[in-house]
Amino acid sequence: MAGMDHQQQHLVKMVNQIASNVPRREAVAEQVGQHLKQFWTPEMRQQLRDIAASEPESLVPDVHAALQSL
Amino acid sequence: MTVVQQFDPTQDLGTPAVLSELMLTVLIDGVPVQVPEGTSVMRAAALAGTQIPKLCASDNLQAFGSCRLCLVEIDGRPGTPASCTTPCVDGMSVRTQTPRLDKLRKGVMELYISDHPLDCLTCPANGDCELQDMAGAVGLRTVRYGSEGANHLDAPKDESNPYFTFDASKCIVCSRCVRACSEVQGTFALTIAGRGFGSEVSPSEQQPFLDSECVSCGACVQACPTSTLQEKSVVELGVPTRKVKTTCAYCGVGCSFVAELRGDEVVRMVPDKEGGANAGHSCVKGRFAWGYAQHEERVTTPMIRDAIDEAWREVSWEEAIAFAAGRLNSIRDQYGVDAIGGITSSRCTNEEVYVVQKMVRAAFGTNNVDTCARVCHSPTGYGLKQTFGTSAGTQDFASVEHADVLMVIGANPTDAHPVFASRMKRRLRAGADLIVVDPRAIDLVRSPHVAAEHHLQLLPGTNVAVLNAISHVVATEGWIDEAFVAERCDRASFKAWEAFIRLPENSPEALQEATGVPAEQIRAAAKAYATAGNAAIYYGLGVTEHSQGSTMVMAMANLAMATGNIGRLGVGVNPLRGQNNVQGSCDMGSFPHEFAGYRHVSDETVRNQFADWWGVPLRDAPGMRIPNMLDSAVSGTFRGIYIQGEDIAQSDPNTQHVTAALKAMDCVIVQDLFLNETARFAHVFLPGTSFLEKDGTFTNAERRINRVRPVMTPRAGLSEWEATCALSQAMGYPMEYPNSAAIMDEIAALTPTFAGVSFALLDKVGSVQWPCNDQAPTGTPIMHRERFVRGEGQFITTPYVPTDERSTRKFPLLLTTGRILSQYNVGAQTRRTHNTVWHTEDILDIHEADAEARGVSDGDWIEITSRAGSTRMRARISDDIPAGVVYTTFHHPVSGTNVITTDASDWATNCPEYKVTAVEVRPSAGQAS
Repeated sequence: MAGMDHQQQHLVKMVNQIASNVPRREAVAEQVGQHLKQFWTPEMRQQLRDIAASEPESLVPDVHAALQSL
Repeated sequence: MTVVQQFDPTQDLGTPAVLSELMLTVLIDGVPVQVPEGTSVMRAAALAGTQIPKLCASDNLQAFGSCRLCLVEIDGRPGTPASCTTPCVDGMSVRTQTPRLDKLRKGVMELYISDHPLDCLTCPANGDCELQDMAGAVGLRTVRYGSEGANHLDAPKDESNPYFTFDASKCIVCSRCVRACSEVQGTFALTIAGRGFGSEVSPSEQQPFLDSECVSCGACVQACPTSTLQEKSVVELGVPTRKVKTTCAYCGVGCSFVAELRGDEVVRMVPDKEGGANAGHSCVKGRFAWGYAQHEERVTTPMIRDAIDEAWREVSWEEAIAFAAGRLNSIRDQYGVDAIGGITSSRCTNEEVYVVQKMVRAAFGTNNVDTCARVCHSPTGYGLKQTFGTSAGTQDFASVEHADVLMVIGANPTDAHPVFASRMKRRLRAGADLIVVDPRAIDLVRSPHVAAEHHLQLLPGTNVAVLNAISHVVATEGWIDEAFVAERCDRASFKAWEAFIRLPENSPEALQEATGVPAEQIRAAAKAYATAGNAAIYYGLGVTEHSQGSTMVMAMANLAMATGNIGRLGVGVNPLRGQNNVQGSCDMGSFPHEFAGYRHVSDETVRNQFADWWGVPLRDAPGMRIPNMLDSAVSGTFRGIYIQGEDIAQSDPNTQHVTAALKAMDCVIVQDLFLNETARFAHVFLPGTSFLEKDGTFTNAERRINRVRPVMTPRAGLSEWEATCALSQAMGYPMEYPNSAAIMDEIAALTPTFAGVSFALLDKVGSVQWPCNDQAPTGTPIMHRERFVRGEGQFITTPYVPTDERSTRKFPLLLTTGRILSQYNVGAQTRRTHNTVWHTEDILDIHEADAEARGVSDGDWIEITSRAGSTRMRARISDDIPAGVVYTTFHHPVSGTNVITTDASDWATNCPEYKVTAVEVRPSAGQAS
């Protein structure tokens, strides 16, 4: 997280929080993906993909899986 | 047989209406009239068109029988009973005018007048005085008693209240004020002290009004039949000469008012007896705190400046609009459409909000539009849509009168929604049970004649755990309404939820350490809610402004569905909205992912409908929310914003981050009444209109669409929607409407839930609650009666996830925030009224043990520090909060409460977690840093 700016850190915090809170715990990645499509701008989703590539450890595994579905 | 209906709804019929299916027929001076059993003779007479003289009676108060003016004769009965306290009997024949009654009434009036100043010509109530009217009605011409005897003519005036005067010399001790305070407001601040000739109205224990328990709702002033309790504005300006019906601009109750004026000047605001939300009642803000509209700090001329460190230049509307459009177009050309956006306001009308979101989507070319509901009730929109299918509360306010148990969660209605709180208290006094779920002992927990049977004093941040524990008890004790669930709800989702909620980890015993609520209290509250009959949930920002705000909304919806408490009177899940048009601003398509009517921008059919009507292609992906816009501004990719009636520099969390974002932008346009904190970072200031100048509609917390009508011309020359349209036009997208009614017509054409709404309908019927369409032409007071909007109710599992914002050794206390009665949100309006006498500064409430441990005494200055920042204010030792929790308000910019709140937010909606901030408190030398 050290190399990220505030906006990137906030995106990471938001998406990891979404993964922690989506209701059906047996299908976290699917719900995270749906949430991102429904509420995030395409630019934010692209920024998240960039973060996943450059700072993969900052994101929980279900977020990585969700990004595959976008 | 004559069946007389209520022929004039504004007429005072003397005693309240009675609900009964058994109808009786009585003769009033030979005229037959049919009334429900239990109706008083006075009311029956009024319905028959005969006004019996009265002084102590009013149809918003129970009959009292003290003034002895309303005497009548009844065939076959001895004496002359008071018509207000005498119920009708079938076949009864009543005479209201006889020589005997005339003589008795004259004698009574003569006694009243013998101890009343004869200064009618110079009295402020001259022409608006029931005592004067009754003297005329009974034909009083002389008073036989001299002025030598004992009287009250030298009784002192109490001028302590800033809004009304109490002149005891004019009091006839009819007790209407006392009864209004008790029955209508429910505060019980007034009583009659003394006996016989020494009887007098007493605020609390014969204190001045200002020092008493009086909450200045004004019900007593409205009830007074003389000039004893009189608005100071009437004393100063005279009796009003014209009236305009409109809607209050403060909280989400959305009270209807009659603005009474002389020319263009408001003399007083009188709550409208026909108002669907308030039924003739008001609070101190709505009735009295409207003077900000004429405050000297109001800005009425557009202003611009090239940079925020320059002085403002007053310019014409044309120059300001051209400047703003030039800057926004320049940014858009250089950085793209996603570099600009807008924020709508819940203080503005539906029509004003609609044109702003339309301008952003159609003229700016982006979905970067959001609303101030982001920071209050966005989780309500999310949670109720997921479970019920639409983003709104389920009931009308009157429904509470049918509730057997009320569960109030994270709300403080007596302070934040006072007129609805009076309705609640009336129901509680009549016997309904009360469950309060709140870290604080709010007034409802214990106030005169009201006490919560259950107060679950949970730790901040543990709402979901408490609701899960309640639902666990309901499920494991066999209190599920299986028939309702089977008939109305999605079976698979219910089974999944039931399996989840029955898990041992959701039991009260397992969660009591986390929540701080003993398991037996949870079990008792669950039983009360599930077995009461009609159970209704009312909730506020103490639910939504958490990291699990949306989860909590869904948890409440689950509980209501599981117990069958949806779809009829007396039940439901009811958000108490913070501002008067939160519901409306959300309905109007203010969220970046939705068009009006809560339809996603990716829905091709809906998008094409808007695109066709507006004549421009529209984007199919969501835009940015407010926090995303601010983040992007700090990063340099978001550079221009239009902010309608919203002070994000004071109201949004983590002030340092907000101001950094505003400073980074090339164009900040603020439209408001005053140069607020956000305007310090603005390049364009467009003067807004107060509610007294607006022409449009507000939608309150019960989905009630009410007209707000202009009582004066816009001080700045343009309506806000006209200014928005001018900006859109200057940016190259014409938006032309002949009037605000035409905007509503477009809303109705594009929004199925508003399909039947028009100004003409509202002017005809007063108000309607959406959905209002062919299926419900006069609106829908109770939603989800036969089926949920989404079809079957959807249960959603709600795992409790503790917030990251936890107390630590460095920040061992949890700060929570709220609102008090006399002030409103960031105080931009109420701080510019006399309401400041009740609240001059924000104060930190701290438990005695926490204060003592830090060497803090009552009234000391303290410094409060969080991970985000620090500020200073005075401390007050309070036992309303438990040890470990501190509380303050956010009404004054100088205290900068949001300097210390963090950017933690709800996982689904980014609603800020205002209600939980880990802090430390230390003594401070004073206010200055």
